[in-house]
Amino acid sequence: MDKMKKIIIYLEWGSILGLTFCVIWIFLILPIESSQGFPQKIMYLHVPTFIATYLAFFVVFAFSIAYLWKRDLMFDQIAKVSAEVGLIFCALLLVTGAIWGRPTWGTYWVWDARLTTTLLLFLIFMGYFLLRMSVSDRDKEARLASVLGIIGCLDIPIIHKSVEWWRTLHQPSTLFKVESGKASPSIPQELLNPLLASIIVILVFYLYLLILRFQSEKRKEELNQLITETQF
Amino acid sequence: MKTRTKFVIGGAVILAVIVALSVQELQKMTVFFYTPAEVLASPAEFEEKTIRIGALVEQGSVDWNAQAIQLSFNITEDGENSINVIYAGVKPDLFREGQGVVVEGKMNGPRFEARQLLVKHSEEYTIETDHKKSKEEYYKSIMSQ
Repeated sequence: MDKMKKIIIYLEWGSILGLTFCVIWIFLILPIESSQGFPQKIMYLHVPTFIATYLAFFVVFAFSIAYLWKRDLMFDQIAKVSAEVGLIFCALLLVTGAIWGRPTWGTYWVWDARLTTTLLLFLIFMGYFLLRMSVSDRDKEARLASVLGIIGCLDIPIIHKSVEWWRTLHQPSTLFKVESGKASPSIPQELLNPLLASIIVILVFYLYLLILRFQSEKRKEELNQLITETQF
Repeated sequence: MKTRTKFVIGGAVILAVIVALSVQELQKMTVFFYTPAEVLASPAEFEEKTIRIGALVEQGSVDWNAQAIQLSFNITEDGENSINVIYAGVKPDLFREGQGVVVEGKMNGPRFEARQLLVKHSEEYTIETDHKKSKEEYYKSIMSQ
């Protein structure tokens, strides 16, 4: 237990110092991007947020399958807390996207494929928690939630490919751009480095939230166990 | 009403919204915008309908009337099929010649009357070689506005 506490403190300070470092780098040192100007800086929050969202829901996907396979409630707990953190990041993704869209596109929101499928992911996982709350039997809850979790995560590849499959207002991916079989992000190194740094920091932050939430979830279940035991 | 019933109803409403949105949007979003060539090829089909057209702003076609607050420009994708767009509103920050735009509105004869003008920005990012100068100029341009 003490070891876990230590890891949490490391992750906590890692995210605090990392975020401070990135903010200083992005706002005080980085040059201004030529076509968009200052609004481009929200990219350093928007892009890491979408990567954290992808990762969080990939964890949901993997641990939902693991639960259905092994029927170990711990896997379900991990899927649940990752979905919670993922939902927060997804909300942040929609909000930062809207803030970025206003000065560049001229609108907060359009119903194009990228934005609509992202909103869909958000709504699916709102439903996921409603489903969890509505089932009182713990095993049944885990089973149903795992199935919905797996189906919901299938939206992730659709979101990612939406800008290539359909005509959208949202631009194609900068970071994962592939030219003649080779990865070639269309952004100068000087702007790319802080982006990679912020991605790492946000992923550390995700891990911190995940572990913290997992600990509290575990204790809650232990407490529930004790309550049911003492009642009889 | 039992708490459980409430959750079931809430879940059903959300699910219904999701399904309705997906069905409706999946049909529309495959054509978030048309190209000028598509619109010009079958004008009868697009008449009196609110549509979006996406293309590039033609070089040298932008006419900004500050008195009437009216913007006129041509959009084209291939340089051949070009449509004149009238937009009653201010120029968006990133609006310039050669920039990708999406306009929403109706065709009125040969002209397109836009209700909304969106700028489609590119996924390519660049910086000036002289950082310090460009930064100073940028802040100055903001302050003077």
